[in-house]
Amino acid sequence: MWTVRMEPMLQQCHRESPRYGLKSKGFRPWSLNCSRNQKLVFQARSFCNFRPPNDHALRASSTALAETVESADAFFKQTFPLKQTETVEGTIFIRLDHGKNNWNWELTVGCDLPGKWILHWGISHVDDVGSEWDQPPTEMRPPGSISIKDYAIQTPLKKSSSPEGDTLYEVKIDLKPISAIAAINFVLKDEETGSWYPHRGRDFKVPLVDYLQNDGNIVGAKRSFDIWQGALGLLSKMLRKAEASHTDGAGSSTESRDLKQESRSLEGFSEEQPIAKQVAIDNSVTVCVRKCPETAKNFLYVETDIPGDVVIHWGVCRDDTKKWEIPAAPHPPDTITFKDKALQTRLQPKEGADGCFGLFTVEEGLEGFLFVLKLNENTWLKCMGNDFYIPLSSSSSLPAKSRKNLSESAQILENNVEANQKGSISAYASGIINEIRSLVSDISSESQKTKTKEAQESILQEIEKLAAEAYSIFRSPVPTFSEEAVVEAEELKPPVKICSGTGTGFEMLCQGFNWESHKSGRWYIELKERASELSSLGFTVIWLPPPTDSVSPEGYMPKDLYNLNSRYGNINELKEVVKRFHEAGMRALGDVVLNHRCAQHQNKNGVWNIFGGRLNWDDRAVVADDPHFQGKGNKSSGDNFHAAPNIDHSQDFVRKDIREWLCWLRNEIGYDGWRLDFVRGFWGGYVKDYLDASEPFFAVGEYWDSLSYTYGEMDHDQDAHRQRIIDWINATNGTTGAFDVTTKGILHSALERCEYWRLSDKKGKPPGVVGWWPSRAVTFIENHDTGSTQGHWRFPRGKEMQGYAYILTHPGTPSVFYDHIFSHYRSEIGALISLRNRNKIHCRSTIQITKAGRDVYAAIIGEKVAVKIGPGHYEPPSRPQRWSLATVGNDYKVWEAS
Amino acid sequence: MEVSVIGSSQAKIWKTDLAYRELGFSDLRDVGKVFSAKNRVCFGQSTRWRTARFRFALKAVQSEPLRSEKVSVATRRSESHDGVRLFVGLPLDVVSDCNAVNHTKAIAAGLKALKLLGVEGVELPVWWGIVEKEAMGKYEWSGYLAVAEMVQKVGLKLHVSLCFHASKQPKISLPKWVSRIGESQPGIFFTDRAGQHYKECLSLAVDDLPVLDGKTPIQAYHEFCESFKSSFSPFMGSTITGISMGLGPDGELRYPSHHRHAKSNKIPGVGEFQCYDKNMLSILKQHAEATGNPLWGLGGPHDAPAYDQWPNENNFFRNEGGSWESPYADFFLSWYSNQLISHGNRLLSLASSIFSETAATVYGKVPLMHSWYRTGSHPSELTAGYYNTSRRDGYEAVAEMFARNSCKMILPGMDLSAEHQPNESLSSPELLLADIRASCRKHGVDVSGQNSSASGAPGGLEQIKKNLLGENAVDWFIYQRMGAYFFSPEHFPSFTAFVRSLEQPELESDDLPEEEKEVADSLHASSESGAHMQAA
Repeated sequence: MWTVRMEPMLQQCHRESPRYGLKSKGFRPWSLNCSRNQKLVFQARSFCNFRPPNDHALRASSTALAETVESADAFFKQTFPLKQTETVEGTIFIRLDHGKNNWNWELTVGCDLPGKWILHWGISHVDDVGSEWDQPPTEMRPPGSISIKDYAIQTPLKKSSSPEGDTLYEVKIDLKPISAIAAINFVLKDEETGSWYPHRGRDFKVPLVDYLQNDGNIVGAKRSFDIWQGALGLLSKMLRKAEASHTDGAGSSTESRDLKQESRSLEGFSEEQPIAKQVAIDNSVTVCVRKCPETAKNFLYVETDIPGDVVIHWGVCRDDTKKWEIPAAPHPPDTITFKDKALQTRLQPKEGADGCFGLFTVEEGLEGFLFVLKLNENTWLKCMGNDFYIPLSSSSSLPAKSRKNLSESAQILENNVEANQKGSISAYASGIINEIRSLVSDISSESQKTKTKEAQESILQEIEKLAAEAYSIFRSPVPTFSEEAVVEAEELKPPVKICSGTGTGFEMLCQGFNWESHKSGRWYIELKERASELSSLGFTVIWLPPPTDSVSPEGYMPKDLYNLNSRYGNINELKEVVKRFHEAGMRALGDVVLNHRCAQHQNKNGVWNIFGGRLNWDDRAVVADDPHFQGKGNKSSGDNFHAAPNIDHSQDFVRKDIREWLCWLRNEIGYDGWRLDFVRGFWGGYVKDYLDASEPFFAVGEYWDSLSYTYGEMDHDQDAHRQRIIDWINATNGTTGAFDVTTKGILHSALERCEYWRLSDKKGKPPGVVGWWPSRAVTFIENHDTGSTQGHWRFPRGKEMQGYAYILTHPGTPSVFYDHIFSHYRSEIGALISLRNRNKIHCRSTIQITKAGRDVYAAIIGEKVAVKIGPGHYEPPSRPQRWSLATVGNDYKVWEAS
Repeated sequence: MEVSVIGSSQAKIWKTDLAYRELGFSDLRDVGKVFSAKNRVCFGQSTRWRTARFRFALKAVQSEPLRSEKVSVATRRSESHDGVRLFVGLPLDVVSDCNAVNHTKAIAAGLKALKLLGVEGVELPVWWGIVEKEAMGKYEWSGYLAVAEMVQKVGLKLHVSLCFHASKQPKISLPKWVSRIGESQPGIFFTDRAGQHYKECLSLAVDDLPVLDGKTPIQAYHEFCESFKSSFSPFMGSTITGISMGLGPDGELRYPSHHRHAKSNKIPGVGEFQCYDKNMLSILKQHAEATGNPLWGLGGPHDAPAYDQWPNENNFFRNEGGSWESPYADFFLSWYSNQLISHGNRLLSLASSIFSETAATVYGKVPLMHSWYRTGSHPSELTAGYYNTSRRDGYEAVAEMFARNSCKMILPGMDLSAEHQPNESLSSPELLLADIRASCRKHGVDVSGQNSSASGAPGGLEQIKKNLLGENAVDWFIYQRMGAYFFSPEHFPSFTAFVRSLEQPELESDDLPEEEKEVADSLHASSESGAHMQAA
């Protein structure tokens, strides 16, 4: 007598070879309670010549079951990795308090989540303007700090324990109340995952100086510290509350007066911020299949190290279509039937170790064992996105046996052939043969008509089944979608909430028209045909032409805002095109002209300033400071556009009507957002009002004014230009992005004159809006005004691809012009877009400019993509990443980290 | 095939293992666990591989006896109905541009379904831009060989279409090195009056010019075909029964005259002449000078309408008094269509000489330019290169050229009928088909059918059946094309019914002799297979 051993493979993951052995000594009687009252006893056979088991395996399995027995014939054994991600929540805390003596302050930044935390920080000086950082003086830097370029340092957080005994990671920075440090800026980075943890998408900022007091204003016990998001001050309500209560509690007036005598109104505080981190958890599941030579049954042992309750959702299949079936009873204990399709068995906990196991008996003649693991209602673990599939076909165990005993092997061979005839499922070809043969034998045994028809029916059923399978695979655009890939995409999304108007951060715009598009009169219909093509190129947002009734055919001189029949097509065609793009998985932007509107009637002086249509405004809706149109409204809040009456957005009735109109466009047409024309013409605050009301998914404004030139040559420093754009975005409260005109201008000079050094600003960052506020910068190189048949400010000819190599690899949200997509640049642009998507570059990706010389510019983005433009030579550094060339074009190259 | 599947999934596991090892390694909470995880990964890999290979070997042995059995079954099938032989096209992108078989499982299931349905074979598009993608003379056949093997295993026949053009949807380009040459010399592409290049196949004017790094396109095609023949020699004649030679845009013998019109346009325009690349122009010039009218050699007709326009929007194609009837037009149109026919001749003679010793038949595809057929000038045919008008038979010369090379002709559009065409386009697919087929009959050219690749023309299956079962039926048909729509509940049941109605036109009337023959055959087949099993 010998026994079958089901050893739990606690730490092994290899599928062992079929020769895996039976212990030659110590055969003892044994019974296995795999089904309730059945006792399985196996007889030893002389022909078995098994290797002694591997010592390593034995040791590893020492924690196992009491009734563990040595294997007779394990023909399948494999461990599958199980990967889950879990969101762990914790807090970042920021504490400012007195240090060892009362003169020094100490800033403590910490986090209670495990990780390899790095504080990436810098300071602002009292007289600094703007949002730039400087490096702190050396004496402030804690030991272990590393300089990052010339504006920041990185200090690792140290492990310590909280008073409650929890593990914390923190860093302390000494502050001497002497230097003119206005604020400390920082973000946290987790080196392990490379994720950044900013404060709601911006730097954390701890002001140390009361600006107002420095300005000479005497203010009483005012709030003197703040954690805010740059100039926007977008504070969460929660945070305000916390601060307020803190100030109430700790702000004794005497203390604050004392501090003021030091010309510094510092107050200690302690602040906590929630943080969520994606943590990968790895477990494994091991499956071992053994065959009992006597009963021809298969024993399956499933074991996992996942702690807690695990339910295995399982079934068997008879052929390689992997169609789930419920095996015949008896089933293991604690098993329920799930919708007549599968069984669910709770795995039994292992003693003395995390994890659990289950033991299953499967009848012969089945081809496979299918399962998935269920942790709870929402968490199912699969194998690379598919069901786990354990082949049960016994054929692979054949050679090991047949070598040993001839008579026996003959018998087994016969069995095997028979099994092949019946099952022979894994090779689909044989499946067909069998089906045909069985039909043939049906026909030959009874050559009656009815039988033939039955046979035909069963063939047809089989065909239908196959067709359904093929259909289901063909229909899904991506052949297989592993769970890991999805999780990864989620992980890489910036962990900030999506602000209204900026999309997901991974948007890719396509300007879906040019200056000539109105000419066919059926642009919407023509564009509709391109939807799937544009979507497959990787675009996520289409910018549609201005939809309203307009005096000029291109649509930028709107008349009746509610009349959406334009030279691009009628309202129904517009709805169709939007619908089509939605079907293709893209969002649609409406081009809305809010600055001006053409009148339909003259006033009594013969001036055209009385509007028609549903919004029949009169001259009170027109700004007062444009003499041409004799408006009776207030003065314009921006620049004037002289060709048409400029709308006075300070009028409540005007704003109400525009809000309603935008909401109507959202609902009626299905627009997802806006491209806002000529926003220089009115205050950004009004735009905020409109965007708050219409809640777009994405919005971008056209704030286009001239760059600064000295003696006809463009200045290197275009900070004033980008500052004006930033100011406008600020005025909208960050609810919308803006076209990065600065970047386009600088690219013009850099490429045209071979002055690639222009592409780095004084601080080594990109010189356009994208260098300051990347998540709001919509980068572009050409549009219907600058290029197309107007050519007001055309990108240097022949160098467009260098421009695209720049904007499609850099942070910000790139916008590609229609004419370029449907030109010979198409494949190059497509390659760059797919590279951007593949490497998950988003609008907030980090950028490091590695070269900005006369004839070459190079940068590394998100540590994953390296790009160079310009005729000069450049190779990315071979460390720390290894680079492989991804795409090359005329004077540009792009590499991916491999 | 089996191995490649297992291999790739294992590689994936390996990759994710690596990723999580990295993560796990820095997890300071549980160092012990991390190390065990690492060990596990490394240890597992090698053994897993060994097993995978081992299993493959076993399967190969198993399928050996079964294959010979299949052949007998296949012959039985084709004998059982000597009517039409039906093929179904595989997806255009069945092999991806990195030479992997796309949707392998779906293809496998689909092949099995087609086999059971009684379809005779499948059509496999083989793309120049995939096989010879990287460099001239560097051929990579592995993906296509894998498909051929799958097809052979199921016991279906294979018709291979050699595609020397590019495809827009799905996106399949010309070989990279060809596109690169095209960037610097756009003259190798067809060019229209506005100077726009059609970059999806080479202009026929460069056929014999050494534009491809010193080789002529004809030489490149020749070497491609030779390499194909030697790589697929085990399949030639047995599994591969036919080869279509790619002759131009979409594989058809024509000029890309209609490439600018959007597909959904209800009324296709007349198209434009494509004779404006520098080589075409120089041939035209020589020809004009040789015929004593040098001024006629400066370009195409100046008064032809644009792509989307209708015939009488300009003078050339006008029904009454249009210049298409002028001596100049006759000069130009004869030259234009002769260029096309010579091009077809060059490629088909090349193909038939290479493949003549194999048992595979060579085919060429001729387009069905059916719109405006009911006008006098047949503008769509003229711009596409067929000088066929109400007064002149343009297909005689084409059929004669096919006959000379003993090639068979594939005609698409057998699913189209005038009643489903927009009336304004004055189209008549049936009349044009009859026209072409008459010329073919005259020259003894066998015609095979195909449906237009636009999925699901209204009444398409009925129309195909008419073409397949009526008088002058074609005996061989390629149905386009396997994919999501093909297997969808909207389409597949009607296709099944269609195939069954072809096989047994009179399903209801008990056709006993037929039945008995089948039984006898099948008995024969089963006893034969039994013998094989014993031998194995």
